[in-house]
Amino acid sequence: MKIEKEPITGQYGKFNIDGVPHRIYWEEAGEGIPLVCLHTAGSDGRQYRALLNDKKLLKKFRVIVFDMPWHGKSSPPENSQVGHYKLSTESYISQIMGFIDGLNLIKPVVMGCSIGGRIILHLAIHFPEKFRALIGLQSAGHIDPYYDISWLHRQDVHGGEVCGGIAYGLMAPTSPDNDKFETMWHYMQGGPGIFKGDLFFYKFDGNIGNEIKKIDNSICPIYLLTGEYDYSATPEETKYLADTIGIEMIKMKNMGHFPMSENPKEFLKYLHPVLKKIN
Amino acid sequence: MFQSLIENNKSRTQIQIMAQYLSTSFIISTIEDEYLVNIEKGIVTKVQKGPFVMPSYIFKLTASKNEWLKFLQATPLPGSHDIIAMLRRKVLKFEGNLHPLMSHLLYFKLLLASLRPLESKKSED
Repeated sequence: MKIEKEPITGQYGKFNIDGVPHRIYWEEAGEGIPLVCLHTAGSDGRQYRALLNDKKLLKKFRVIVFDMPWHGKSSPPENSQVGHYKLSTESYISQIMGFIDGLNLIKPVVMGCSIGGRIILHLAIHFPEKFRALIGLQSAGHIDPYYDISWLHRQDVHGGEVCGGIAYGLMAPTSPDNDKFETMWHYMQGGPGIFKGDLFFYKFDGNIGNEIKKIDNSICPIYLLTGEYDYSATPEETKYLADTIGIEMIKMKNMGHFPMSENPKEFLKYLHPVLKKIN
Repeated sequence: MFQSLIENNKSRTQIQIMAQYLSTSFIISTIEDEYLVNIEKGIVTKVQKGPFVMPSYIFKLTASKNEWLKFLQATPLPGSHDIIAMLRRKVLKFEGNLHPLMSHLLYFKLLLASLRPLESKKSED
């Protein structure tokens, strides 16, 4: 039987983030407007596998997904040690801007989910002129800690098992089992302390506070979409953001915290009309 | 309400393997009632309904009966579909030594979810 090839190509490249050399892996497919996709905390670019295979999308957009440092196939920087990883707002912005500049992407659309849905708000505040549009999936301005995240990295608990268990519950019970399992599996494959280190940004350092009022939607259009089953970034929290910015949010039925990965078929039904407006 | 945790054992071979080294006991509380559940090597070996005089257990999950019934619906609504979602809404409390629970989080989620179709039928009676 012949192998059914997908249109995705993967590549490694080196560039500096905050002056430190990094080796980063990314995947891309399609032609047209660059659409840079940001994965969630503790996972990697495979979350966007369906978008990278969606023929309709690939006709008009060049979909590009990179694995953050320490995630997926991207390497940790030199002289790293286990247990010291903590994502800051500054370094997250630096890696995104460094990647975009390094690939010479002009006015891309950036779409991020969860921590990615948070960082696009920071991008909208600081660099609105750099983007054609920003799309936040599961965006919330801040998340108060609601469970003890120290459980995510302790030597007497298997990190893959507990991170998978946490991710599993964030998905909708109605999402397809195979896509839910794969989404959970990505979490089970994360390195020790990486999910927890990303949550430092999500729950503390990246809190947006009143700065949200600085976002000017007329400079760079923002779109916010949130799955109804998400209890981390709830639809109510996204609505608060949308009301503050002065835009409409889109509440996605039968989806949780990982729409593009847990239920891609349904998610694309919501995404295509948004991309049509951007195009 | 939770007795069938033991009745369902035969249908749980897939999730039992996720807790093959786990032996523990925990209480599920509906505030009005308590259920003491014993697990040996991932298999539910005993479920006793209280009241208890001196229950011996490692951890306890407490939510109102109404909240547990919402969790046990065949397709629970957002916020009731997961025990951490209930924790987030502050309608469920985790107490005691949480190591067995957190080190086998997916197992416990699937164990409780295995009651869903059965209990949803009962709740309609």
